[in-house]
Amino acid sequence: MTLDWSVVWDNRWRLIAGAEMTVILTATTMALALPGGLLLALLRLSHVRLVRSSTTGFVEFFRATPLILQIYWIFYVLPAAFDIRLSEFVTALLGLSLNVSSFNSETFRAGILSIRPGQWNAALALGMTKPQVLRKIILPQATLRVLPALASTWVSLFKDTSLVSIIAVADLSYVSLKIRSETYRVLEVLTAMGALYCLMGYPQAKLVDWMHRRFKVVE
Amino acid sequence: MDIDISPLIENWQFILTGLGFTLALSALSIALGAAIGLVGGVLRTYGGKLLDSAIGLYVDVVRSIPVLAILVWTYFAFPLVIGESLTPFSGGVLALGVHLGAYITETIRAGLTSIRPGQMRAALALGMSRFEAIRTIILPQALIRMLPPLGSLIVIAVKDSAIASVIAVPELLRQSQVLAGKTFRPFEIYTAAMLIYFLICYPTARTIDRVYRRLGVLGAS
Repeated sequence: MTLDWSVVWDNRWRLIAGAEMTVILTATTMALALPGGLLLALLRLSHVRLVRSSTTGFVEFFRATPLILQIYWIFYVLPAAFDIRLSEFVTALLGLSLNVSSFNSETFRAGILSIRPGQWNAALALGMTKPQVLRKIILPQATLRVLPALASTWVSLFKDTSLVSIIAVADLSYVSLKIRSETYRVLEVLTAMGALYCLMGYPQAKLVDWMHRRFKVVE
Repeated sequence: MDIDISPLIENWQFILTGLGFTLALSALSIALGAAIGLVGGVLRTYGGKLLDSAIGLYVDVVRSIPVLAILVWTYFAFPLVIGESLTPFSGGVLALGVHLGAYITETIRAGLTSIRPGQMRAALALGMSRFEAIRTIILPQALIRMLPPLGSLIVIAVKDSAIASVIAVPELLRQSQVLAGKTFRPFEIYTAAMLIYFLICYPTARTIDRVYRRLGVLGAS
């Protein structure tokens, strides 16, 4: 077996562009899924039973089905059944955001519920309104506590963006698989793809481990 | 929009085959992952510095690469290294198992280190060997404590098995794609597939929660 690594170097700009798309997808999805997750978490703590149960259903459904199928569903079913046409990039963003919002909502909910109810009582006794208590007392503490969990979700999301390559969004996976089929240098290109993901993912994973140690909840 | 479920009824065997492959792929990759994780977790905790850093490298590398990349590498590139081709199914089991194994290794290690070191010392003082102490005292408690994260890993394994559709394992998602292409009824078919995955994953997660609530006390110390 002869290896020819020049194929990786020759296509470096395409690979870098793919890696850029991966980062853009991760960052944009998270920017949408943080408010999305917080909204879902608040809806799940609502006093209206119907709101609570339908949000729970939504979240559980997205958490218990494969992301790759969710992306397919949006990509094939929306145009065919509902005549909604979205670009590949928007489809990818929609699928990833709905999925990550569901996971974030569980994180936020756990964070909000982890604050002792005495704090609610104390704040209400001081004459604050419920939204005020939430905004000024509960959320700042809860957010700090769930920071490590959100960071773990970020790393999972970074890796999960590779799934959008199946609907031809030009991320690192899609570009690599394309170069592979053009050049037939399977081993070199696929190894480079793994290495590039590792190069980007490894520092993030280490940072998350550090955050878990640093922000450990001590009560 | 009109809904027509006849493609589902006419092709129920085709879908059932897919479901069978999904379950087999998940079960085998969980078995492989559990074997790797058990050995890896124990060796990382008790096997000395060298093994700890070697297994740590495996864990960190696998944790920073997407499953998709591991799957395509195992199926397309790995055969070139070993000079032997893999079937999509065995490639899928291998890739998913090695991927899951890294996460199980970390989970088991966390469980083992959470057991107070006094227990190991007490067992050794009673004349047990290290291996005996791990097998009969430390590991059982650690496994019960780690039931919730291990449970979510099982659910993740079932969901990740759908990604094996990219290397043409004829599992549920792959069969659905073929069927959707043939019948032009993507709505009915993908929705049905979604429901089937939900009916596997959601009860699994709830069952593990319930088991943990019953057994959790046994892991407390």
